[in-house]
Amino acid sequence: MIHLKRITKSFGRNEVLKGIDLTIRKGEVVAIVGPSGSGKTTLLRCINYLEKPSDGEISIDEFSVHFKKPHKKDIHALRQKSAMVFQQYNLFRHKTALENVMEGLVVVQKIPKEEARKRSVELLEKVGLGDKLDSYPSQLSGGQQQRVGIARALALNPEVILFDEPTSALDPELVGEVLGVIRKIAKEGITMIIVTHEMAFAQDVANHVVFMEGGVIVEEGPPNVIFNVPKEERTKQFLARYTSESAYSI
Amino acid sequence: MGTPFDIAYVYEYFLKLLPFIRISLLIVFGSIVVGMGVGLLVALPRLYKVPVLQRFSQVYASFFRGTPILIQLFLIYYLLPELLKLVSIDVTKVPVLIFVILAYGLHSGAYFSEGIRAAVSAVDRGQVEAAYAVGMTGYQAFTRIVFPQALAISIPILANLIIATLKDTSLAFTLGVMELTGKAQTLFTVSRHMLESYLALAIVYFILSFFLEKMFNFAERRLLKHEAPIAKEDKVPMGRKWLNRTLDPDIALSKGGAGV
Ligand SMILES: Nc1ncnc2c1ncn2[C@@H]1O[C@H](COP(=O)(O)OP(=O)(O)O)[C@@H](O)[C@H]1O
Ligand SMILES: [Mg+2]
Repeated sequence: MIHLKRITKSFGRNEVLKGIDLTIRKGEVVAIVGPSGSGKTTLLRCINYLEKPSDGEISIDEFSVHFKKPHKKDIHALRQKSAMVFQQYNLFRHKTALENVMEGLVVVQKIPKEEARKRSVELLEKVGLGDKLDSYPSQLSGGQQQRVGIARALALNPEVILFDEPTSALDPELVGEVLGVIRKIAKEGITMIIVTHEMAFAQDVANHVVFMEGGVIVEEGPPNVIFNVPKEERTKQFLARYTSESAYSI
Repeated sequence: MGTPFDIAYVYEYFLKLLPFIRISLLIVFGSIVVGMGVGLLVALPRLYKVPVLQRFSQVYASFFRGTPILIQLFLIYYLLPELLKLVSIDVTKVPVLIFVILAYGLHSGAYFSEGIRAAVSAVDRGQVEAAYAVGMTGYQAFTRIVFPQALAISIPILANLIIATLKDTSLAFTLGVMELTGKAQTLFTVSRHMLESYLALAIVYFILSFFLEKMFNFAERRLLKHEAPIAKEDKVPMGRKWLNRTLDPDIALSKGGAGV
């Protein structure tokens, strides 16, 4: 169980998150949707402390951190409980696919090399890259790089995996393979928070959908409610714009 | 001048110059070692935006890049001992070679600091964040992710700098150090075959530069193997292509050698 309580974040005088409360149950897949600039990325980055929240609290099971004045070792622990899949993949460019996945296991979790290798190979096979173990990121397509990114996150065995628009940097024909992998691991009961603009995908894999705008959660609920019978006017407008936009692009 | 050109002298002088390669290379490598240390010290405050030190680093880099190396040599050799005398440190017994290495070291340190800054900034921020996200500490992220890539990126910068310093050492003779250029000048004072002497000197410098360049090309290929596109798909020479993309042209680190 993950609780976010009153998370706020300002950049200078610009308040980007205005008090976010969110509860995520174990094994749940949460999709966050909303217009760009609404603070979705910032929220994910706050959860694993790539961005320092101005205030608020996060608790993951028994463990909790107060963001007002967090301890250094709590920050480190928080980062180890979450893993992130980035929009731009952010693979380590000087390491092979296999080494990218092994890195955290060996360096952070101090798992013996052989064991780390075995686990990493299994994960790369799971994301369909069993034949690319020794390729460097520069030799992989965007979709393949992102799948390595997913394997890297899975390897850490985190309490929650955070996805920040995992397919929005990809060519359209590569989106499917990455969504396919995410869908597959979602079925395994791994807790995930996914920021996405792929509405059909969100509706399909998420157990819970959150609509954010202007730094607040406007509405949240099960996908069939949010996508079919939203209560809030702003949610309706956003979704309408979205469906009409994608209708045009077909 | 005045004596007719005689190719035999070129060969003779070439052989006579060879032993002095040692001195020139000693100056080069001594000053590169000093320069790397100084460069790192000067680069860190700017990389981490340390308030006052950052300004100091800027002034340092501007001074050593903006004034002729010849003047820096004189200032270090003549002015520094005077200043040290004020705090009663006597350096009159220190060999001139040490001053020369110090001067070139401080000079190349300014270029190193720029190079280190450019190389570290060329490793994109996203990779550092990914390192934090997998749970690495700042130190682990630097040593395992940033540094190895920055090193590979800086190989061409390092190569330029070493070759530039090699050429700059030709001014050390002005303080009486008998390195390659100093020796070449003594060779023709007797025989008056100046042209032959300078030609032999040029050949020596050329050969040295050539081998240094080859060496660095090799190192670059080794260290940047991860940026190699799959061979048959792409014929652009590896490494460089990626470099052009990541290194900001504004911080191009060209350095042409003695700016007198
Ligand atoms: N590092 C930063 N410094 C200043 N402002 C930022 C920074 N990161 C994000 N912002 C601002 O925060 C707001 C929310 O950004 P973001 O979280 O990226 O939104 P989203 O992911 O929903 O598009 C934007 O107005 C953006 O300009
Ligand atoms: Mg975003």
